[in-house]
Amino acid sequence: MADDSLASHRRDPIKSSVGNVAAQRRRQNAATVGKERRESLVRAKRLCRVGATGDGDVPVEENDMMTDEEGFLLEDQTSSAVKELKSAVAYQGKGAMQKRVNALRELRRLLSKSEFPPVEAALKAGAIPLLVQCLSFGSPDEQLLEAAWCLTNIAAGKPEETKALLPALPLLIAHLGEKSSLPVAEQCAWALGNVAGEGEELRKVLLSQGALPPLARMMLPNKGSTVRTAAWALSNLIKGPDPKAATELIKVDGVLDAILRHLRNRKDEELATEVAWVIVYLSALSNFATGVLVKSDALQPLVERLATSNSLQLLIPVLRSLGNLVAGDSHTTSTVLIPGMKSQVNGVVKVLVKCLKSDHRVLKKEASWVLSNIAAGSIEHKQLIYSSEAVPLLLRLLSTAPFDIRKEVAYVLGNLCVAPAAGEGKPDLIKENLVSLVQRGCLSGFIDLVRSADIEAARLGLQFTELVLRGMPNGGGPKLVEQEEGMTRWKDTNSMKTKT
Amino acid sequence: MAMVVDYKHDSSFPYWTSIRRRFDPDSPFFSSGNLERELLAKQVALDLTEDERNQLEKMIDNDARGVFCPIVGCGARLTSLEDFEDHYIARHTASCSVCSRVYPTSRLLSIHVSEAHDSFFQAKVARGYAMYECLVEGCDLKFKNYKGRQQHLVDKHKFPTSFEFFNKAHPSKKKRLKNQQKRRTHKKDEEASSKMEVENEIIDGLVSAVSKLSTSDSSPSNISFGRRNARGLTFVPRSIQAPREKK
Repeated sequence: MADDSLASHRRDPIKSSVGNVAAQRRRQNAATVGKERRESLVRAKRLCRVGATGDGDVPVEENDMMTDEEGFLLEDQTSSAVKELKSAVAYQGKGAMQKRVNALRELRRLLSKSEFPPVEAALKAGAIPLLVQCLSFGSPDEQLLEAAWCLTNIAAGKPEETKALLPALPLLIAHLGEKSSLPVAEQCAWALGNVAGEGEELRKVLLSQGALPPLARMMLPNKGSTVRTAAWALSNLIKGPDPKAATELIKVDGVLDAILRHLRNRKDEELATEVAWVIVYLSALSNFATGVLVKSDALQPLVERLATSNSLQLLIPVLRSLGNLVAGDSHTTSTVLIPGMKSQVNGVVKVLVKCLKSDHRVLKKEASWVLSNIAAGSIEHKQLIYSSEAVPLLLRLLSTAPFDIRKEVAYVLGNLCVAPAAGEGKPDLIKENLVSLVQRGCLSGFIDLVRSADIEAARLGLQFTELVLRGMPNGGGPKLVEQEEGMTRWKDTNSMKTKT
Repeated sequence: MAMVVDYKHDSSFPYWTSIRRRFDPDSPFFSSGNLERELLAKQVALDLTEDERNQLEKMIDNDARGVFCPIVGCGARLTSLEDFEDHYIARHTASCSVCSRVYPTSRLLSIHVSEAHDSFFQAKVARGYAMYECLVEGCDLKFKNYKGRQQHLVDKHKFPTSFEFFNKAHPSKKKRLKNQQKRRTHKKDEEASSKMEVENEIIDGLVSAVSKLSTSDSSPSNISFGRRNARGLTFVPRSIQAPREKK
């Protein structure tokens, strides 16, 4: 491998001195490929026909699905294309490079036209070793690009098909380097992203082959589709369950700064979305990364995105990142949301309220989860939530929302009524909160949960009912519970019968 | 005053403690939020026109992809956002914790629980109180027995005669005899239908009947996970396709 790279460095200067013509042609070819990638192309069916018969304008019926016949046709064409590639790779004479590129392009087109690329046919015909050869160092950009594109689509298929890319991985990783042209690096990142998305095993392989540092570096520039693709690929690469990759990523020079910068990018919401997912995994898997994020006040841009964006794609990972940071260890929470800094906590609660008000179930559920974790903090945290706009919303959600939201809401409300645990035994009640919430009618919602099929929810309902029985003044608890016909729902109906 | 559960002696009662809850990224807790993201785990670089892309987004490969419903004990496998929404609405909006029957609204569930699992309710019925509520929201009439309510639904609210809100699965022998005696004068199909299990079709019938007649219910109206048309494929400039396999 080392020899190859030395050879390639030696080769480049020779190439460029040989002819500007050659360089110009290379640039033109690259432009063509770039154009094809950017534009939408001719309908799939028509392309198929052209390939088979050679006729330019055969009219095509508009069908939704490819028929079996056409599927077989595609497979045949793919096998032929691979054969063609084989001979092109073997050919050493004049115009060899163009021959190779043309063969690659044909294969790429066949692999790009339908939702079921003929991957199996390509693999059977022996595409992988050929594609690996086409990735060798010093190959012209168009060749690298087409080869990486083919590999990308092969990797997007079934697990065995993705695994077939193993021989190509080191080369794909290598072409992420800073000397590669951007489209090539991006296409390689895309292929690697697909491989990483397959599963833990392949992630391990990629990490051991050093995929992380170059991908991380690709995320550093300010803009461009390459940055976005790299972020997406990274999110697949670090998603674990092993936290090592997440920890390694945050340690790469410049990454933290880039992440925060991209998160703040108002113009490119898609980029912010990809980066937000990276933060989701960083904060969920790595305590070290969480600490770093918290220290650099990552909370602030997260809150701001939640406040200003209306894109569900973006809101979900941002909200979850926030949730993960808050759910981290207690040291983190107490520094993340310093009770003394009221405005900061209030800012957080405010955006969470915005999520509670949204139409989307996921936002409501996860925002409630985050609130429940804040409410699990100090007394000051609880009071800040209690006196906010959140409580009336939560009470309403407790009676009207779908089940999974109600469960989270229950956690918030219950946490507001119970002081932080201090040693053994039952935690103290915060009576004023309990009384007020019960007076505002939350008890029936909890009793409803007791009846649910979900054991965890039933437990929550029972636990809260116990608080009511214990904590309402003047022994009023039992009566209230009875009024809600809670008694008739207890499992121990036998004792109920004997007592009535 | 009846005190039922004497928990004071139960020293292992799990009192409410406020603690932070953390979830792994692949926890089922995050499933619904992950749905769209899962679709992007692998992306094919396609050359497609706008139309083809839209068509593709409707066609989903059912075999390889799916997410499990996050509700405890459900285990259902869903393959698209729409599936998930439909499944969720159908199975988890209101299910009976005693017999697991599912109802489309909390109100109907509540009625079911009272009528089917509540001895207090039965005691009142035995004493002659009108306890059987009309199923149509806003009607508010109550009846002394199940049949009476049934008849009202058919007469007043045009429910189909085959409709049964609840069918007892295995009536005891004594009950069966009793039922037979009562039903001697009734038509055959009612007898047959009263012995049937509650089928999903009946629930569906209930749903359609009630939804045609009532204008409001307490179940949440717009459960949606995001924009339906643009299915959240974030790499819009590059035509991409919903992949087949993901992690």
